Amino acid sequence: MRTGKFLALAGATVLAAALTACGGDDDAGGGGGAGKTLDVLIAANTQYPDEFQAWQKSISDKFKAATGATVKFETFATANDELTKIQTSVVSGSGPDVYAVGTTFTPTAYSTGAFVKMGDEEWKKIGGKEKFNPATLGISGPDEQNQVGIPWVSRPFVMAYNTELLKAAGIAKPATTWDELTQQAKQLTKGDQYGLAVAYKDNFDPWKFVWGMSVQAGNPLVEGKTAKIQDPAVQKAYQTYFGWLANDKVVDPAAVGWTNPQAVAAFAKGKTGYFLLTTPTATNSLEQGAVKGKWAFALLPTVPPGATSRPANGVEAASILSGDNLLVADYSKNKDLAFEYVKLVTEPDVQLDYYKKFGSMPANAAALQTLSSDPKLGPVTEAAKKSVATPFTGAWGDIQLALTNVAVQSLPDLAKGSISTAQIDARIADAQKSAQSALDRAK
Amino acid sequence: MTTLLRAPQKAAPKEPRRRGATERQRPLWLLTPGGLLMVVVILIPLVLALWISLIDLDQYTLRRWVEAPFIGLANYAESLDSGLLHSVWISVSFAVLATAATVPIGIAAAVVTQNAYRGRGVVRAVFLIPYVLPSFVVASVWRTMLQPDGIVNRILGTDGTLWLNGPKSYWTLVLVEIWAAWPFIYLMALAGLQSVDHEVHEASAVDGAGWWPKLTRVILPYLRGPVLLACLLATLNHINNFTLPFVLFGAPAPDDVNVMPMLVYVTSFQSLRFGLSAAMAVVSLILVLIPLFVYLRAVRLDVHDEGVRR
Repeated sequence: MRTGKFLALAGATVLAAALTACGGDDDAGGGGGAGKTLDVLIAANTQYPDEFQAWQKSISDKFKAATGATVKFETFATANDELTKIQTSVVSGSGPDVYAVGTTFTPTAYSTGAFVKMGDEEWKKIGGKEKFNPATLGISGPDEQNQVGIPWVSRPFVMAYNTELLKAAGIAKPATTWDELTQQAKQLTKGDQYGLAVAYKDNFDPWKFVWGMSVQAGNPLVEGKTAKIQDPAVQKAYQTYFGWLANDKVVDPAAVGWTNPQAVAAFAKGKTGYFLLTTPTATNSLEQGAVKGKWAFALLPTVPPGATSRPANGVEAASILSGDNLLVADYSKNKDLAFEYVKLVTEPDVQLDYYKKFGSMPANAAALQTLSSDPKLGPVTEAAKKSVATPFTGAWGDIQLALTNVAVQSLPDLAKGSISTAQIDARIADAQKSAQSALDRAK
Repeated sequence: MTTLLRAPQKAAPKEPRRRGATERQRPLWLLTPGGLLMVVVILIPLVLALWISLIDLDQYTLRRWVEAPFIGLANYAESLDSGLLHSVWISVSFAVLATAATVPIGIAAAVVTQNAYRGRGVVRAVFLIPYVLPSFVVASVWRTMLQPDGIVNRILGTDGTLWLNGPKSYWTLVLVEIWAAWPFIYLMALAGLQSVDHEVHEASAVDGAGWWPKLTRVILPYLRGPVLLACLLATLNHINNFTLPFVLFGAPAPDDVNVMPMLVYVTSFQSLRFGLSAAMAVVSLILVLIPLFVYLRAVRLDVHDEGVRR
């Protein structure tokens, strides 16, 4: 009996010890880089896992040579994993020193107040603000004085077009207005051939179209603390976007079930004129398809639907400002090392190497410039410069969700082949309501 | 027949006074490690969830969550207003339908594989395939097959029919869940069948019972306990299934399949409204607990009282 009690006590102690150990400690120690470890959280690269490992190794070596400290990379598989990591780190005040987060997620991360605001001194530490493509700084913070995001890579959106099909249809150059695009798509649609590949079921694509068309028409969707989704520009955007399938019939009806990779695959078969909304990271998939050697990138139209030129208050937004920012955690005990790391990975040679391996465009202006001479990438570098930031508010996540939801709930109507303005308006009204309530809660 | 069933009970005569002695020496402290673990992994999170459901916790207040404003029942009021009841209805109806459909399939499969025959091992293994496949894989494969231009539409000749959105998506969810979940009922029913004594089979043979009366009056009553337990667990599993709808339909989910776990997920991880989603989770918990409690009281899931004991 006695020994039994002892055992139980021991068991409980071990359990308690194990639980406290889970709390973790990340005291990496004091001055000098040697012996320290910098913890970097970064998205896992499922497309090129081996190359990504090699890249991590080479960065780690370079960093060790420069500072004596080691970099420990932690990867996350989905945005949700990352969010969970940020949440637990924010609450506990310990975790990774540097985070790589998506541009549209930066406002949300900013709103937690858990990241270092970049003052002049901080910018100097990473080699100056000037070294970045100015457009990429657009979503670093709510204003110049309150920036947390340091641009790392950019993935501007462009469209891809089938050079042969366009030529065969007698189209000299890709469309620059949305109306022209619809017109060309009609010309391209015949037999088993379609004008456009659009990923209607994608969980992110729809809002990017709607935001882009609206901002080109002069409506940035958010003004101060007011949501402006119930607006003619937004209505027109949805009508155009749904119309390609429902009215113009220039999209394969199966597209109501497509996510972005499925649309890539459809375009890669070589039977579609345009593939809207893609990035250079799709290059490999396209080169492996029937469309190999017969496609090119082009800027997305920047003139809103229903117009032949942009209105005075319209913005020449070729893409949402897309890519990754680096954020240094406020609780980090290795801030100087963290800035050293950021400096290293935003240098031109490292950025170009990263582009060659993974297809993400440099945020570094000089590195981007060297790529603009590549004819294939010309439109992409231009899109990087003409990228416009989505509204910087902690409510953006909700707004994006509301805009996507309009598309999700409209798919059954699209599948039936028609969608009425009344149906669109009702869903836009719902989106307006949830966007406004999200903005009301924003602090 | 009934006397036959009661016969084995003689083997377990009551021992009236030994209980008192064991009760005094019951080593209750052995519960401590398990109890501690329960407190840490169940009780504390539950209390935390209750607390979070009463505060205004979102990305703005997350960093100093202890100081997040206390807003009483406001989250609850908002959750009832934001489609929670619709989601609860979808979740519960879908779970009950899925369970109701899997029970006959599972029992039939168990009966078919009860007697030994050539190839029974293979059949049993094949039956378990849906159960051992990860939910994610099941959902991905079904999603591919149910594309508008996918293989299902091609076989049915229903070109362009939308299975993954709109009213049909609800039935898609039920169907895929049935496909993935029936082996669980099968396993439980099989376990129940295995516990039927040899003598019972012999006795009914001696009595000259045909296969149907034997099945319905002798064998199935043995299954009542395990299968009811399986029904309960299966229904709860259906209600809690997140992976399947998430992979099949994506987030935000179409209205017809916006099940409870999806709603709570989107609210907490896309809208970042942790307080609101905690309130939703608590409301759902209560709503699920009520029928569960009534049901548990009604059927008294005590297998030992069912006469199946040895």
